[in-house]
Amino acid sequence: MLLLQNARIASENSPVLLEGDVLIVEGKIQEIGSNLAVPKEARVIDARGRVLMPGMFDAHVHFRAPGFENKETITTGSEAAINGGITGVVMMPNTRPAIDSAAVVATVLENAKHRSRIPVYTSGCVTKNREGKELAEIEGMHRLGVTMLTDDGDTTSDPAVLLRAMQYATEFGMFFASHCEVPELAGPRALNEGVMSYRLGIKGSPSCAEEIIIDRDIRLARAAGAHVHIQHVSSKLGMETIRWWKSRGDVKVTAEVAPHHLLFTDEHIGDYDTNYKMNPPLRTQDDCDALLEGLIEGVFDLIATDHAPHTPFEKAQDFISAPNGITGLDTALVSLYHYFVEPQKFGWDLVVKRYSAEPRRLMGLPVAAIEVGQQAECVLFDTEAETTFTRDFMKSKSQNTPFIDQTLKGRVDMVILGTEILLERE
Amino acid sequence: MARKDLLDIASLHREEIEFLLDQSTSFKKLFTHSVKKIPALEGKSVLMLFYEASTRTHSSFEVAAKRLSAEVTNFDVAHSSITKGESVRETIETLQAMRTDYIVVRHSHPGLPGMIARQTTASVINAGDGAHEHPTQALLDAFTIREKFPDPRGKRVLIIGDILHSRVARSTSTLLQKLGIEVAYLGPGSLVPKYVPESIPRFTDYEAAMAWAPDVVYLLRVQMERQDVQFFPSVREYHRVYGITTARLAEIRDKGLYIMHPGPVNRGVELCDAVMDYERSLITNQVENGISIRMAVLDWLTPGGEFPKQEAYAARQKASSPVIMP
Ligand SMILES: [Zn+2]
Repeated sequence: MLLLQNARIASENSPVLLEGDVLIVEGKIQEIGSNLAVPKEARVIDARGRVLMPGMFDAHVHFRAPGFENKETITTGSEAAINGGITGVVMMPNTRPAIDSAAVVATVLENAKHRSRIPVYTSGCVTKNREGKELAEIEGMHRLGVTMLTDDGDTTSDPAVLLRAMQYATEFGMFFASHCEVPELAGPRALNEGVMSYRLGIKGSPSCAEEIIIDRDIRLARAAGAHVHIQHVSSKLGMETIRWWKSRGDVKVTAEVAPHHLLFTDEHIGDYDTNYKMNPPLRTQDDCDALLEGLIEGVFDLIATDHAPHTPFEKAQDFISAPNGITGLDTALVSLYHYFVEPQKFGWDLVVKRYSAEPRRLMGLPVAAIEVGQQAECVLFDTEAETTFTRDFMKSKSQNTPFIDQTLKGRVDMVILGTEILLERE
Repeated sequence: MARKDLLDIASLHREEIEFLLDQSTSFKKLFTHSVKKIPALEGKSVLMLFYEASTRTHSSFEVAAKRLSAEVTNFDVAHSSITKGESVRETIETLQAMRTDYIVVRHSHPGLPGMIARQTTASVINAGDGAHEHPTQALLDAFTIREKFPDPRGKRVLIIGDILHSRVARSTSTLLQKLGIEVAYLGPGSLVPKYVPESIPRFTDYEAAMAWAPDVVYLLRVQMERQDVQFFPSVREYHRVYGITTARLAEIRDKGLYIMHPGPVNRGVELCDAVMDYERSLITNQVENGISIRMAVLDWLTPGGEFPKQEAYAARQKASSPVIMP
């Protein structure tokens, strides 16, 4: 039994934080109110000044298992999530073997059950081994609970293959998540084509490589009557394409944006810093501004990190040799607070809606609101404290993030899931 | 001010450039002496690390180092499979253990010489990293121009060709601008990106570029091997549209313009054969000046026991924390 006193409670429905006490009994929220009586056996936590919000949910993470456990495991990945105030995740299937069959899904989910303290869901591949040629055994994965299909890491290049997959899988109520990139235009290097790519002498990837596939995949979804979810949008025109399709209202489209695409530009790459090498690449300030606009407006239904760990050895190579991706789970919530909530670019309601409620709705899961009768799934966040992202602080096996050794405002103090306190910081 | 490495032109100060050009003048005088060697780098070791073949730059550095009495070692890259980034790091560790004083490196990956510089005490000289920089080429180009125009401020250099893939274009234009020389680019639309620096006029039409009234036309080598897709239809068409044809050479001769080229020349592509006898061609001057410039650079750099770049890099990384949000 847990009584949180005088917490400022965040919800997706209100820009204002409501102050109150929250009583949790047997993993459920039993009562919310002011000056609640203190039950004898309750542990009392003085939450005055701190924000109590639902646990975040990240619909786009790479936990690298099976196959690349040197980068991340389900255990280290989910601990990184908890460390950052996230209580549920969806894994991407670009593993080795790829998660493209019922057998692999079963193994992954079985592992997740034993090796993670939070629910870990997985998406499945659209095509066998993500090769873009033959359809994966979709119904078999669906039977084990998979709802999201994606060849993330790559676009399903052949539009005919994707269209068939959409026609087939939509009948099972599944939806498609699209990594949008024309490979012939994007080339192998994750750097925006522009002033910076010219200066660094690296072949850039123009944003039209993304925009073309965003448009293509929405058109395919419309033709198939499918639901398409556009992943990690990085460009202004990408955002506007989605906005336009949403305004038509004749196709089901959802979309996500990653914190790093809101925060960083290609200028940050500076002296070939591989911690800024990711795909889709960081673009310009103009793109950042448009993505923020799209997030506030609701063009983006959710925030997702695209948490992509790589070993220090791999990232310590030169820019061209180093792999794409940055980690995001340990840092996401604090960085969103530091750069957006604290300076009042948007409110706590947006954070809760876009990073907790909507991702769960996308996955067809119950929303974790702080309401009477709900399972306790919440995070206590100190807005006055700071977090320094040292290597020791991070729980991810890899620390390939631009935030390394930086101090930002805000701190995840406590993470509660049901009857368990998953994290408690002194 | 002592520097450990020469990695790019962008970070060089004007005074440093002037100093190197002046030093090069003194070293060049040596060439007429019967004994061309001086003991400036006696007891020092220079390691040549060329991941990309280059007879010209390689031998130029080698001659320069030997004239300064340094010991030159060639790291046999060609015969090992170490071309990927991971193995480069292992190589660096080996080199660091060998305590070599200078490393002259060429690699197809931009930024790789900088990476080596941050991990060794040796002075690292970038001899060309992908499409990024080629600082000694820029210095020798500037030196060659300054021999013809002692006060080059306000002179105009038209660089023609594959700007997109050219490290020479980047380094040389940056350096010339630092000396007050105006630079313009001319080439096919697919090879002269629209986002080149604003201070550099961008032409895709030969006549329009000549109307800009250059003093020097600088032809870049057409490098088909760098092009992963076709950037222009054929070398024949390229020569007709952007090359110095016989008719254009006559015009250039009339106007008294100088011609430069970093070599080796693709005859009949960038330049018609007759250019080889053109009295204002500076192509062989460039080759000759390469040696004295590289002597000046080797003599100028100070190999250190510390890792100054590493610290500078770490400090920069800290400083470049997300700046964000107006
Ligand atoms: Zn992706």
